[in-house]
Amino acid sequence: MNPLLEIEQGIENLLLQAPYGMDPQQRRRSLLALLKTELAYACEQNSRFRNYVEHWPTDFRAADDIADLPYLPVGVFKANPPLALVGADEVKRTLTSSATSGQVPSRIVLDAATSRRMTKGVLTIVRDFIGAARRPYLVIDTTENLAAQSQLGARGAAVQALGSFATEIVSCLRPGRDGDSSLDLEKLLAGAAKWKGAEVLVYGFTYVIWTQLVQTLQREGITLGLPNARVLHSGGWKRLEQQAVTRDAFVGGVASVFGCAPERIIDYYGMVENVGVIYPDCDYGNKHVPAFAEVIVRDPLTLAPVKVGQRGLRQRGLIQVCSVLPTSFPGFLLLTEDLAEVVGEDDCACGRRGTSFRFAGRAPKAEVRGCGNLENTRYRQEQVGATA
Amino acid sequence: MSDIITSDLAASDLDMGDLDMSCLIKAVNSPQEIAAAAAHLRETARREEIAPRLVLEILERWGEALNDGGLNEVPGVAFLRLWLRRGTLEPALLRELGPNALSGGWWEDGRARLRAFPLGVVGHWPAGNIEIQPILSLICALLGGNGCLVRVPSGLVEVTRRIFEKLHEADREGLLTKRIFLASFDHARTDLHEAMARNVDGAMIWGGAEAVSQMRRLQFPHWARVLVFGPRLSSAVMDAETWGDRIQRSSWCRRVARDVWQFDQQACSSPQALFLERGEGCDPAEFVEDLRKAFEAENRAHPRREIEPALASAICLARASWLLNRDGNDALFPASPDWTILLGEGTEMPPPTQGRTLSVLVVDDLLEVISKFDGTMQTLGLGVRDATKEETLARAAGRSGVDRIVKLGRMHLFSSPWDGTELIRPMVRLVRHVGSQD
Repeated sequence: MNPLLEIEQGIENLLLQAPYGMDPQQRRRSLLALLKTELAYACEQNSRFRNYVEHWPTDFRAADDIADLPYLPVGVFKANPPLALVGADEVKRTLTSSATSGQVPSRIVLDAATSRRMTKGVLTIVRDFIGAARRPYLVIDTTENLAAQSQLGARGAAVQALGSFATEIVSCLRPGRDGDSSLDLEKLLAGAAKWKGAEVLVYGFTYVIWTQLVQTLQREGITLGLPNARVLHSGGWKRLEQQAVTRDAFVGGVASVFGCAPERIIDYYGMVENVGVIYPDCDYGNKHVPAFAEVIVRDPLTLAPVKVGQRGLRQRGLIQVCSVLPTSFPGFLLLTEDLAEVVGEDDCACGRRGTSFRFAGRAPKAEVRGCGNLENTRYRQEQVGATA
Repeated sequence: MSDIITSDLAASDLDMGDLDMSCLIKAVNSPQEIAAAAAHLRETARREEIAPRLVLEILERWGEALNDGGLNEVPGVAFLRLWLRRGTLEPALLRELGPNALSGGWWEDGRARLRAFPLGVVGHWPAGNIEIQPILSLICALLGGNGCLVRVPSGLVEVTRRIFEKLHEADREGLLTKRIFLASFDHARTDLHEAMARNVDGAMIWGGAEAVSQMRRLQFPHWARVLVFGPRLSSAVMDAETWGDRIQRSSWCRRVARDVWQFDQQACSSPQALFLERGEGCDPAEFVEDLRKAFEAENRAHPRREIEPALASAICLARASWLLNRDGNDALFPASPDWTILLGEGTEMPPPTQGRTLSVLVVDDLLEVISKFDGTMQTLGLGVRDATKEETLARAAGRSGVDRIVKLGRMHLFSSPWDGTELIRPMVRLVRHVGSQD
């Protein structure tokens, strides 16, 4: 059978499963077999990726555990041109990560099939948390991030991924002059008046919701009166932590301006490199892994998987995300620069099966790299100066 | 001549407040504490000269004391024990401070005579990545008779305390310890850094670019001498005759491994790349196989106890980036982040990853590599069989800004000069006396 066809069938089979209902052992067996096929396919498509895989300390074909398969650090997607398994003519869209100033963003190439699976993956997951019904979709962002674009940032990708749940879409930020934005209060209040009592889906980046929506409405003393709003947010806590905004304060603030219960506010972890997979918090504050993905938490000292109870309960480690969805870039097995702790195995009270984990922030940059820390030699500085 | 010379100066009535000079490392909270400590150190240095011979004796005892107390596992302590020996320090002292330096006497200089006197109080800002650096730094100033005000980096407080316990054992009379004030405070406490800078007559600053730049901006007195060490990079080269020698090769590989392991490649003297001269019948794959064995052995002897997640990530990224960069690039590494060998070709110095990640690059001409050094290269480790070739390489390296050229396996041996500068003389004043009765 054509390997790509075989992969396609394998992915479809997993996407058809209840996302959190599969027996973990059976799921891992299915994932292992499919990931091996995908790795072999990727090696055929990209000789440099093959070079990497062939230098892995163990042969992936003989692996009997997903944790033994060769993984890539997410930083490799900052390369230009982007790491791809398809020709440039097949690329339909390039996703870029939300790099902070001075950082190089990741660039992820999507062909039509991967793009389709990305949407399907997110829908499958979100449906499990909020139900399948379509409803008004309030976007805490500008309309620019709703437009179809060949280059799409992390915010745009997240906003658009939920579009399938929408009966109508209202974006309540208007762009400013210097790339900043402000709340379009009139538009927001008009929507809120119309949707009163209805199920409403709300999405925004965490710090955008706080700085643009919550703080503005709190200043004005406005409550939207949307008790059935479901507020999804992502993008990390770093900026809010810098402003000393705790999670409780955030949830309390959002719930109060929407007039909904705090339980209706869902934080999720995700990244553009892990296309089609997001990790929302369940009612017990844990994150779960859908049928077509896996999460491994690795001890930084050994890079071996951390198990519950190993070296003390809830040991933190680097998150490795695994997904069978991409075939346009080798994003099957990715070591992130984020930390998590494994909370349990198939025992979360929410009923979702498999590994449950909690996000523990970005791995802090090494504070001291010492007298040998010289990333910029005079020569490199001159080069940068010459090209600036 | 007595080794302790007490001046006629009256003891100053300093307001020492609650300052306890006897404690090993003082958690400092106010600029006043630093000012008081500096004043005390300055007064001690003025009132009581100490002959370098006596300093050497106490240091030798300190070195011997370091054999006990479970300090062997502390990176650099084995070296420190040897470095504290008279046989190591005395030649440096004589070279830098003159033939009568041991007794603290004058020496003839034509019709005049010269003698070294301390600057007063020397402030030390050691790097946070080298466990023994606070000690190395302050000893350079102590040998010149100075008082030492040392900011101990937060991560080194415990290990410095353990090492200093041994000095207290070796220096029962407190001849050296009373000349040292070890201060601990958060690196973000600019007011305390400023207080240190205001109150010293000399400074020895070590560390990475950010730390060094921050300290250089401090307002030192106009008379203070400021010595800055770092940041620098280091690398190594081997000619084809040396690395192609199948009999000697494993011994050379063990030397490379030793240089890579010590200080986890975070030191300015750590080799980040090893350039191999291409040679007939010499197979780089065979060489890195021997290097792998040496790395594995070194890792068994000195396994990591911990690692920052960011460094583990950086090591994974270095491996992947290297192999994804070119089809022909090769690499050896275990599943853990313990060590990494990246094999390929190229004359450019690669960006350093640290964390026991060594780039091994095959080149046609070692001189081409050296010609690209830009002044940031501190140490060049050598494995060269032919003396004439070594002479050519050493001269080229010196011209290209390299300050230390040493045999592989000895890249971290701390000796004077370091970074192209002497270590003791910059922190003393050479006083010239022309006799009035001539």
